[in-house]
Amino acid sequence: MIHFDQVSKRYEGGHEALSSISLHIEKGEMVFLTGHSGAGKSTLLKLITRIEKASSGQLRVNGQILNRLRRSQIPHFRRNLGIVHQDHQLLMDQTVYDNVALPLIIAGEHPKDVTRRVRAALDKVGLLEREEYRPIQLSGGEQQRVGIARAVVKKPAILLADEPTGNLDPGLSRDIMELFSEFNRVGTTVLIASHDLGLIARLNYRVASLQDGKLMSTPFEGRRT
Amino acid sequence: MSTRTPNRPTTKKPVQNSANRRRDSAPGNRSAWLRHHRDCASQSLMRLLRSPVSSALTWLVIAISLTLPTLFYLALSSLQAQTEQWQEGGQITLYLEQGLPDSDGDRLTRELDARPEVARAYYISADEAWTSFQETLSINRQALGFTDNPLPASIVVVPSQQNSSQLEALQLIIRGLPEVEDVQLDLAWIDRLNRFLELIYSIVTGLAVLLGVAVLLVVGNTIRLAIESRKDEIRVIKLLGATEAFVRRPFVYLGIWYGLLGGVAAWILVTAVAWWLRSPLTAFLSTYGLEANVAWLGFTDTLVLILASIGVSLAGAHIALQRHLKDAEPR
Repeated sequence: MIHFDQVSKRYEGGHEALSSISLHIEKGEMVFLTGHSGAGKSTLLKLITRIEKASSGQLRVNGQILNRLRRSQIPHFRRNLGIVHQDHQLLMDQTVYDNVALPLIIAGEHPKDVTRRVRAALDKVGLLEREEYRPIQLSGGEQQRVGIARAVVKKPAILLADEPTGNLDPGLSRDIMELFSEFNRVGTTVLIASHDLGLIARLNYRVASLQDGKLMSTPFEGRRT
Repeated sequence: MSTRTPNRPTTKKPVQNSANRRRDSAPGNRSAWLRHHRDCASQSLMRLLRSPVSSALTWLVIAISLTLPTLFYLALSSLQAQTEQWQEGGQITLYLEQGLPDSDGDRLTRELDARPEVARAYYISADEAWTSFQETLSINRQALGFTDNPLPASIVVVPSQQNSSQLEALQLIIRGLPEVEDVQLDLAWIDRLNRFLELIYSIVTGLAVLLGVAVLLVVGNTIRLAIESRKDEIRVIKLLGATEAFVRRPFVYLGIWYGLLGGVAAWILVTAVAWWLRSPLTAFLSTYGLEANVAWLGFTDTLVLILASIGVSLAGAHIALQRHLKDAEPR
């Protein structure tokens, strides 16, 4: 599903954020990406979401070779990704419902389907009764769950998360990770960048570890559902 | 936490993915596109109305910028309507040979009247001329000591085109006619008036272009600020797979609304000023014995004004989007 082949990323000025990364994540897998801040976790995710372009090597995501993707193809490519951010990136002036509906509106879904699917996604993260709230009226954990609902509402093939529990206490973090596991169990490929090693260790999934832009451990095959 | 147990199939199946594909390629993309246009149009208007004061500043500047050249245009077209009356004075008088029969004079008049460069030609027979001369002086021919009519018959030609080279060409043709004894024309001042109107027209055009650029800049700046204030939102929706057109659409509609509001406000201002000036202008012109002919913006002029306003605002929005949207790429 996500295939890095000798991928490097150099920024202008010569700083090499990722060097020669080879990482293969199969369909339906759930993988954790760890490393200190600055190790290249965010850069790796930005390559997958095509925010950044690899300097060399080949990156194939969901069957598409990203270096060959034309600018006009990028939006359509991104619609198959669900992205969860550390700071959830919700639109604060819109309701929870509108936030979750956004990917469907962008994809031009029929309003009837939108309502049904938004309710289903909110139900899944346990926030159905909050749909008319504004994000600002919710707790940090609830905001993150709205972010997750938005990421999964279109049933993407791949779910990416950048430090999804970064701002949450351990109890809430476990709940969030459990939610990701549930999506993985129904077939979604999941990649989570996190530095919460204690939490990752308990979850028993495959771990890819970055250090100074290099992939350190040959990740073991974790539990597969 | 109230996470509910989701549907958990025991075997892994790529169910979602195929469902997803099917939906993406489903027909009805066109209706989604129309729906988004409709939503953008109404949401942009709502946004604009939600901050009435700051948006009013923008469309008022548009309105005032458009009012000035429109008023000049209106004044100019009033003046042109006026000069069409005056162009009677720009006539050519052909004095015919003494003793030419009225039938020949009539025929020549009809021939001249049929020419495309002649608006109107009419025949004044020697008798008519003599009668009118006496009437003007309130005396009769005996008192003047004439027994015969000393006046020749004449033809008055009102040229249709007042372009000076065309007038000269017409003049040459007339001078070449064998029946014509003498030609008197009164064209120099028409020429001068036309050159003056051309000058005014150039000034108005220049002014309109300058103020059009001002509208472009004002709308461009307003849209730039709108983009700036929604940068985070743009980043988010781009990451969610929004196309360039999808991102631009609300701002394009914002430009259209500003143009429409500015255009309508300009029409109201122009009409108000024209109404305000009507009575002093009438009073002023009547001292010259002229009839005031204050023009109003007709249907076509109004349409052109509003469409021009929308067009310039749209261009301003496009320039702002071109320049500033790339600052809002996802990071």
